Amino acid sequence: MSGDHRAFLDATLPYLDVVYQVARHAAGDGQEPEDLVQETYLRAYAAFGSYRGENTRAWLATICMNVARSEARRRRRRPWEVPARSLLDALPVARADDGEGVPDVADVVIAGLDAQAVSRCLALLPKPQRVCIVLMDVAGYTARETAQVLGCPRGTVLARVHRGRRRLARLLAEAGVSHGRP
Amino acid sequence: MDGHDRDHRLLAGFLAGDLDPAAARRWDEHLLACEQCWRTVREDRSGRQAAQVLRQPAPPGLADRVAFAVEIAAAGRSAGRPWRRPGARSRRLVRPGNRLGWQRIAGAGVLVAGLAVTLAVLLFPGGPQTRSVPAAVAAVARYAQAVPSPAHPHPDGQAAPVEVGRPVTVTAGGQQIVMRTWRLAGVQAVVAVSGQPFRMPPGATRDSGGGMAWSARLGRVSLYCLNGRTSELVAAPVPIAELEALAARLPLA
Repeated sequence: MSGDHRAFLDATLPYLDVVYQVARHAAGDGQEPEDLVQETYLRAYAAFGSYRGENTRAWLATICMNVARSEARRRRRRPWEVPARSLLDALPVARADDGEGVPDVADVVIAGLDAQAVSRCLALLPKPQRVCIVLMDVAGYTARETAQVLGCPRGTVLARVHRGRRRLARLLAEAGVSHGRP
Repeated sequence: MDGHDRDHRLLAGFLAGDLDPAAARRWDEHLLACEQCWRTVREDRSGRQAAQVLRQPAPPGLADRVAFAVEIAAAGRSAGRPWRRPGARSRRLVRPGNRLGWQRIAGAGVLVAGLAVTLAVLLFPGGPQTRSVPAAVAAVARYAQAVPSPAHPHPDGQAAPVEVGRPVTVTAGGQQIVMRTWRLAGVQAVVAVSGQPFRMPPGATRDSGGGMAWSARLGRVSLYCLNGRTSELVAAPVPIAELEALAARLPLA
């Protein structure tokens, strides 16, 4: 078996977590984020020969969003819906079968409720703002990378993410959920 | 500063650290005096921190799944190269003056190839057999070998099987396969289901009870296959004699 797939995996697997963040929010109804991640990597592998290596993680995000869009068109569903996930799925904690690393139950419930509330409020934002927030604040892309992924000026990304964050904060305040410290 | 709405774009630049030091200092001073802009900054930070709550690590096993899917695609890519009729290219290149030279090269090639085959048979007696394993069976075996062993095995003979992770769908050799991983009696077994039969690999043993079942050993993994309306292939790192009993306790299709 040729070693090009090994080179591909070495170059791209370090960004799996980042791609997963994008996939979780780009996946439409009925589409599993894990399937979207797998398809993203398969498409990226197919195009790896012509890839010039400018910014691998931005390249992967672009592919992931394109795959999500194609899939959404195929299913005639809207992409960028925040999926209604189960409470445990929404928890930002690692789960272990042997009891180690399992947080306090109260923390789990509060964190889960917060995550659900944030998901609901995020879904209410206009799509351009939501996409920018997901890419920058959830997935951790820089403004420059986000601009590259979305094909728009960096200043536009900054303005969108700023408006989106403020709106999100207000929606959460209306819902009685507060985040951050003054 | 007037026209706060117009300045939000500038404020976004300030928050992103885009402004030159002098402009940033002016914003710092302005924020100390302007409650409205300061509230805007607080909302921005609060929104960013709220969104960060949604971060979560990729599920365990996703990296293995992706790597496996790419490996399968790579195998399919190398197997799918257009077949070239032997000699077609060389015939185009051979000119009458070169015929003797090509014959010498061909003779040397045959000699080297014969030597290589002899060495392969002597050093790796299972080699040729492994190469002819059907792609779908090889994919399931490779996946089962990649499944990590449980960190703390509980060899409870009475425990019910527990599914580990999510089902994985792959296509190998044109055959679509859905693989689920189950933990049972201290081992993790992969149950692969396909609408097409899993062909017997070389060295496999047909089930003595007749029917379409077979079992085989590939590497450290034993395989047990039931071919019927759908085909189920169970793969686990246990002795081959134990696998049929294990498979009987797993939820097959």
